[in-house]
Amino acid sequence: MNDEELLAYHAGALDAAACARVEARLAGDPEARARLADWAAQDAALAQAFGDPASEPVPERLRAVIGEARNSPAPPPAWTFGLSRIAAAVALLALGATGGWLAHGPTTPQPGTSLAQAATTAYRTYVTEVVHPVEVPASDAAHLTSWVSKRLGHPIHAPDFATLGFRLMGGRVLPGEPGTAAQFMYENDLGQRITLYVTQRAQGEDDTAFRFFDQGRESGFWWVDGPFGYALVGDISRDALRKIATAAYEQLI
Amino acid sequence: MPVLDEIEAEIPALRRYARALLRDADAADDLVQDCLERAVARRRDWRGEGPLRAWLFRILLNRLRDLQRCAPRPGHLVPVDDLYPEPGQPAAQEDHMALSEVRAAMARLPEDQRRALLLVALEGFSFDEAALALEIPKGTLMSRLARARETLREMTGRTAKTKGIQR
Repeated sequence: MNDEELLAYHAGALDAAACARVEARLAGDPEARARLADWAAQDAALAQAFGDPASEPVPERLRAVIGEARNSPAPPPAWTFGLSRIAAAVALLALGATGGWLAHGPTTPQPGTSLAQAATTAYRTYVTEVVHPVEVPASDAAHLTSWVSKRLGHPIHAPDFATLGFRLMGGRVLPGEPGTAAQFMYENDLGQRITLYVTQRAQGEDDTAFRFFDQGRESGFWWVDGPFGYALVGDISRDALRKIATAAYEQLI
Repeated sequence: MPVLDEIEAEIPALRRYARALLRDADAADDLVQDCLERAVARRRDWRGEGPLRAWLFRILLNRLRDLQRCAPRPGHLVPVDDLYPEPGQPAAQEDHMALSEVRAAMARLPEDQRRALLLVALEGFSFDEAALALEIPKGTLMSRLARARETLREMTGRTAKTKGIQR
């Protein structure tokens, strides 16, 4: 008797007729009967060995994710994201940027590490600036958007974190790895600054969800989505960073 | 049921599955939290094609792949029994042995087989649901299940018979 049939029988996935056929053959197949018995024992042992967490109370931090979502509208569905991706590909072709993109090696080892590193270096370089923290101020938002979009080869705008207490100061274009990067800088009422670093995506890099990184005093989250890699950097709590990164992610898809 | 309620209802199962895979309670909850954040942010992407839990588990598994790409976990080095205290009621010594044995055997299964078997045997996924969650064809799922069950049987089968895990 083949495994597939027996597995289906064991899972109760067969209709009555097929079930009867299997049972008729089982009668003369002690080996298959022993296997079935062992499988049932496995199921019971697995439930006993790993079942506990399901009956434990759900930790508050997990409930909070749902709770927060109830109070905020769902972001737009993915089809806009899909279109923007196609637009990105078209834009890159139009800009002739693809050649430069493909010129890089097949994969950079640990792309996220270099992304987090580059973003942190840029953060350290510019947040300490008193006179010129940004090259284009937020007051010139339209220019900032068109400049950065043009240099990165795809439309991008600085996300808005006003509800989280951070207002946009402005941004600049930086050398990225690979290609070109941009940095948006924000500040809150306490004078704390955070930056969102956006870079052209490395070839062969997959989409990722948030990953936390810690570079000493600065920490942040990085992720890869659509045409870009992103890294949010700051010297604030991980939770605060996560909220801002989530807001960025939701506004940028 | 509203999508958020449906997502919330799956949290216990997601935690169970994540902990069985990672064998580290905190890391498992981190994984579930990341999964939930992603699911919540993208909840409008889910248009009711297939069961919601298959979509949720798929997100969790994708997230896990990302994590493991970044830093493969030496899972077999984790003392698994610290994570699942044995039940307080008078359990026969044989059962105790069988439980740690089953966890140890699961830890030695190849990752692909472990993911498949736990979805079906622990989470009660149908073959179609599990194939969807793992993003593999049903035939691949079936062969992984068969191999997983056979390996597990070799590792614990004799014990299951002689020491009598009751069914």
